[in-house]
Amino acid sequence: MEGSPRRTALRRLRGDRGAIAGLALFAAIVVFVLAAPLWANHVADTGPNATHTTEKVEVDGEPREVVSVEGTPVGPLWLGAGGKFFLGADGRLGRDEMVRLMYGGRTSLFIALTASLIATLSALALALLAGYFRGWVDAVISFLLDVIWGFPVLLLGIALGTALAVGGLDLGPISISAGSVWIPTLIGGFVFASYIARPLRGEVLALREQEFVKAAVAAGASPWRVMLRELLPNLWPTAIVLFTVNVANMMLLEAGLSFLGAGVQAPDASWGTMIAGGFELIFSSPLLMILPSTLIFLTVLSLNLIGDGLGAALNPRSRATIEAHTGRFEPKREAA
Amino acid sequence: MRKLGALLAVSGAMAAFAIGMAGCGDSNSAKEGATLKVSFVAGTDYLDPQLSYTAEGWSSMYNTYLPLLTYAHAEGDAGNEVIPALAEDLPKISDDGKTYELTLRKGLKYSDGKPVKASDFKATVERLFEVESPGLPFFTDIVGAEDFLEGKAKEISGIETSDSTGEITIQLVRPRGPFVSELATPFVAVVPAGTPAKDQTPNPPPATGPYEIVESNPGRSWSYRRNPEWASTNAKLMPDLPSGHVDRIEAKVVSNDSTQVSEIEQGDTHWMFDPLPADRVAEVRARYDGTQYRTVPSNSTYFFWMNTTRPPFDDVKVRQAVNHALDPAALERINAGEITATQQILPPEMPGYEQFELYPHDVKKAEELIAEADPADRDVTVWTLNINPNDDAAAYYQDVLNKLGFDAELKTINANNYFTVIGNTSTPDLDTGWVSFFQDYPHPDDFFRQLDGTNISPVNNINLAQLDDPKLNAKIEELAEQQLGPEQEEEYAELDREFMEQAPWAPYGNRSLSLFVSEDVDFDEVIWSPTFSGDLTSFQFE
Repeated sequence: MEGSPRRTALRRLRGDRGAIAGLALFAAIVVFVLAAPLWANHVADTGPNATHTTEKVEVDGEPREVVSVEGTPVGPLWLGAGGKFFLGADGRLGRDEMVRLMYGGRTSLFIALTASLIATLSALALALLAGYFRGWVDAVISFLLDVIWGFPVLLLGIALGTALAVGGLDLGPISISAGSVWIPTLIGGFVFASYIARPLRGEVLALREQEFVKAAVAAGASPWRVMLRELLPNLWPTAIVLFTVNVANMMLLEAGLSFLGAGVQAPDASWGTMIAGGFELIFSSPLLMILPSTLIFLTVLSLNLIGDGLGAALNPRSRATIEAHTGRFEPKREAA
Repeated sequence: MRKLGALLAVSGAMAAFAIGMAGCGDSNSAKEGATLKVSFVAGTDYLDPQLSYTAEGWSSMYNTYLPLLTYAHAEGDAGNEVIPALAEDLPKISDDGKTYELTLRKGLKYSDGKPVKASDFKATVERLFEVESPGLPFFTDIVGAEDFLEGKAKEISGIETSDSTGEITIQLVRPRGPFVSELATPFVAVVPAGTPAKDQTPNPPPATGPYEIVESNPGRSWSYRRNPEWASTNAKLMPDLPSGHVDRIEAKVVSNDSTQVSEIEQGDTHWMFDPLPADRVAEVRARYDGTQYRTVPSNSTYFFWMNTTRPPFDDVKVRQAVNHALDPAALERINAGEITATQQILPPEMPGYEQFELYPHDVKKAEELIAEADPADRDVTVWTLNINPNDDAAAYYQDVLNKLGFDAELKTINANNYFTVIGNTSTPDLDTGWVSFFQDYPHPDDFFRQLDGTNISPVNNINLAQLDDPKLNAKIEELAEQQLGPEQEEEYAELDREFMEQAPWAPYGNRSLSLFVSEDVDFDEVIWSPTFSGDLTSFQFE
């Protein structure tokens, strides 16, 4: 006997080892970045943007320069200096790499999660409007989504990021300074909304023809009530899956934008800016690029595992259908 | 850079210009011919002689667009000698120092085959004003130039020319000591009359030098071939100018300077314009010093400008505090040891330089000065460009400002646009920022004009600190009217100190540059011009 759909989904999710591993990995990453102030204040004793170019650090009783006269940063000291410069310094400014990695992760995750939330919520609204009202409302919304869809994500992001990098965003009551993390966040939300809205719109169009929706309309329910009470609850499973996948995509977009100077602005750290900084020192200090790259890889991997697991748990038929089409999955018959 | 930009870009190891031998089969085995491949970290600001004011631009056009006078193709002091180019001889200067007479060589041709006329020089100077060139302040002392600039006159009355005799007479409103040097800058490199008074970078004008630019993709690449009129005509008329050894030159922008180093090691690029990236210096020095690599001095000053017209930097105590707070040792490390600390406007090799140190590194003193000034506005925007280590220097500067109690925001601009943005006085939040300045010509006036209040302009502004001190302006003018001698050098040394007492800049270093070429380039023959960096006519293959 099966319980409620939610319990069924949870049961399926618990049985998906890949999803559980993804959740555990993502949780570990979140804990890592949330611990940034603790590490910075109680271990490293420095902030993410504080420079230490001419300072010395005591390693096993011996003073060592954070940055050599030739400009080479100190490598990982692990616990040799009581946790200071655990992963070394980030370059000629002598900033603590571990601290920047943790704070940079907060920035990257904040941007990815917030942008994905903005994209998902706006996509839900657009999909409901387009799918429910159809006609010219659908035509206008679909046209706008197609226009955005027509641009490669990174190119559109770079164009917007570069344009806003000098003067910021000033739209009536909304004013965002050029260096704010809200710039890449809003860019991500805007760019990815169409990628989520299009499949959701299709789902609304299909749901619109279902008996329960027709019944609600016949019973005199207002359009808003139908959208919020009848259609929206049926969109959540797909929206949640798309959200998690989009977080991963947004992580990569943020990294790309920041690497190209159109995302998070110096001296603030994000994993993307840290890759850019590390790239300049790739010959002498390759770890500076490898560390943030690895964390991005692990985060995207964990989110994809979670998304995959959620997709299978919340909407197993769609997975069976997709995988049957690709020959990867043979649907099993339910026991009678 | 002002001729800043360029090397600035440099400044860190940024640029790349790859030269290569290209092309033609076993071309590398030939000493003459072949293709030189050069790389830059950032592109030129313009490929238009009247507009360009970056080291990249000047280096790129040194052998393309010739002024009446030019600089000798030589290293060190010899490279500071002004010699005739399109003119038959150096100018005849009147006793009162206000009239310059030159004669255009007869028979010169542009690369499109059309004759070079004396009247083209006048049209060129007028075009300089029409396009609001950053070089405009060098030539406002020409009689009638101000009226022309303000639209009160249709021509510059102080320049008279005769196309039949080639005679050119320039009248100045007052004597001007560095004017001969200024006539040798690319700003007055002659282009045909009728050249549109707008940026010609996408379609550069015809050349008079040994090379012409045949392809221009702004911000990405540009290429040259031999001027078809050079060997047959112009070279014979200007025998003191070198003809170059390669048939083609291909320049491209490679934003990653480490990639440029690797390309040179592999022979895919022959010369990188910019200094080595800091993390490759030790390796390159160990492997190639003396065979493919050497450091070269430069007359340059790296500094942070502070806008003296806006709070908090309108208070001299704040500016002095910044000078005290900056740690030269930190900035030296950020520049991988390739700068020598300074706190002066003039670099050590410049006439008039006398060492002093008004602001020894003293954070406590800086904090006291800030406490005395107690600025109400502590929100500060620090401008820089996206070229390492200059962006790191600015990030360090931002941290210093924050430690002094300011709320400093770093604004990083693409190197291709940086000087356009900060040179526009209407750009919001122009508080302070990074810049480097490399000499336009070997005269101290060149450096002080960056602080002359009469040179503040709405666009292409070179006085980034916007300091306008009538007493100091007058002293600049007074000295500029005199020929440089020991007495004037003493005066310039005093002027250096007086400016730094006002502290419109926080100078932090004089830069050493580097020459790094591929194995197949004849390293010993490459000339490093003190004004134009690598001399493209000196590159040849072994």
